[in-house]
Amino acid sequence: MIELADVRKAFNQGRPNELWAVRGVTLSIEARRATVLRGPSGSGKTTLLTLVGCLSRPTSGRVRVGGREVSGMTERFLTELRRQTFGFVFQQFNLLRGLTATENVMLPAYPLGLPRQRLLQRARTLLSSLGLGDRAEARVEWLSGGEAQRVAIARALVNDPQVILADEPTANLDSELSQRFLDIVRDLKAQGKTLLMTSHDPLVCEAAVVDRVVTVRDGRLA
Amino acid sequence: MTVNPAIVALVIASLVSAVMLSYASAFGWRLVRHWDLASGSELQVSLERHTYLISTLVAFVLALQAVSLLLFVYNADRLAPLFVGAMCAVGTLNTSEFGFPALLLKILVFFAASSWLVLHHLDTRGYDYPLTRLKYRLLFAVLPLVLVEAYLQLRFFLALDADVITSCCGRLFGAGRESVAAELAGLPPAPSMVGFYALMAATLAAGALARYWPGMTYVFTLLSAAAFVASIAAIVSFVSLYAYEHPHHHCPFCLLKADYGHEGYLLYLPLFAATALGLGAGVVRPFAEVSSLRSVAPAIARRLTDVSLGLLLFFTLWVTYIVASSSLQLLGNEGG
Repeated sequence: MIELADVRKAFNQGRPNELWAVRGVTLSIEARRATVLRGPSGSGKTTLLTLVGCLSRPTSGRVRVGGREVSGMTERFLTELRRQTFGFVFQQFNLLRGLTATENVMLPAYPLGLPRQRLLQRARTLLSSLGLGDRAEARVEWLSGGEAQRVAIARALVNDPQVILADEPTANLDSELSQRFLDIVRDLKAQGKTLLMTSHDPLVCEAAVVDRVVTVRDGRLA
Repeated sequence: MTVNPAIVALVIASLVSAVMLSYASAFGWRLVRHWDLASGSELQVSLERHTYLISTLVAFVLALQAVSLLLFVYNADRLAPLFVGAMCAVGTLNTSEFGFPALLLKILVFFAASSWLVLHHLDTRGYDYPLTRLKYRLLFAVLPLVLVEAYLQLRFFLALDADVITSCCGRLFGAGRESVAAELAGLPPAPSMVGFYALMAATLAAGALARYWPGMTYVFTLLSAAAFVASIAAIVSFVSLYAYEHPHHHCPFCLLKADYGHEGYLLYLPLFAATALGLGAGVVRPFAEVSSLRSVAPAIARRLTDVSLGLLLFFTLWVTYIVASSSLQLLGNEGG
């Protein structure tokens, strides 16, 4: 499903503060499985996640999604690919303050030009399925950490992507909410979604729902 | 040298174009030698990143060339009162041996640039850079044209001297002289008119048929090029006579003057645009079989053909209006 071939990523290349965050990673991520990239802070796992999700481009190497080479695509095609293939759940959730939960969920679908009523219905259905039906019209700054994360998950799912990418999804959650997140992961997997998460939380890495844990250290696979 | 804002703008535009295209060609040389989509090497990834920027740069420069052509002709017309003997742009262009070669090269660059831009547009519609290498190879052919055009234009402007006594359009486009312009002016109006309308009808028919038989696009492109030449010949041969209502005034440049309501712009702008798009349709068509372009190339070729057809039709109708509304009775007089 997703293949990385000798991927390397440098920041500030050619400058005194040059940093190689990823140093030659070759990895194959299977479809409809939950995979965790585990590693300490600064190990390169988030950079790897952004490379897979086409949020950044490798300095060298190739990323293929569904057999199609995506790391060299121009922005026109990457935008389309990101929208259709990937759903992102960020560590800080990145919800837009001042908007309601429903409005936040609807945002990634606006460029598709769907009828508003259909989109509204889909956003509400997603929020209800994640136990947030009664909080759908609440502004996101009024939500608790767990609720905000579920809004972020609903937003990631609104375009029905094949792959969900989650960066440190339990970093801001207590054990109970982390467990609830893993329940959602199990449901998504059952729906046929591919999940790729970064985490150094043992609760996530050792969860039964996780099929594979890939350890990253110093930009390489350990 | 005569200096005015338009000359400064044209010189700067040509210098910027020459420098930018030289830089782009140097990049293109690297790209043509090292481009390998199968490789994920740092060089390949770097080329992929830069090609977007460089191609945008080239597109900007080549679009500038189209504006430059228009400004060049407009400015030559505006400068005419400065030179003894000049009545229109012809007089200005005749002040030195660089004027007309610069204009002809500008026209050539315009069509080369428009074809390249169409190819670039098509390339950006394919996810796997299907035409990138070809695009840069063709840039090597465009670069010398732009450099020579910049040189000729600069020499032309440097040679502009108000003391020069130049010759007016009546001398260049006077029938009976030995030049291509005089040959065109000497064409008899009636056969020219028949030839013009026949070629226009054939071009419009080919364009319309290309909607149903894509292979006709090539015929349309060839006819578009032929129609351009025939149209210029028609303007010199008979359209100008009807526009000026004068049986011996063949100048295709005086049409641009305010005295004649700037009618020339309504002739030349659609004609040049239609030809550029007609050529573009033929440029796009061969790539309809490239896998990543299969879904977009035919639609782009069709759109280019449609717009070109519309502009050609407008041009033909405008010519017809000029002929029909003129007080000159040219065809009747011929018989007598």
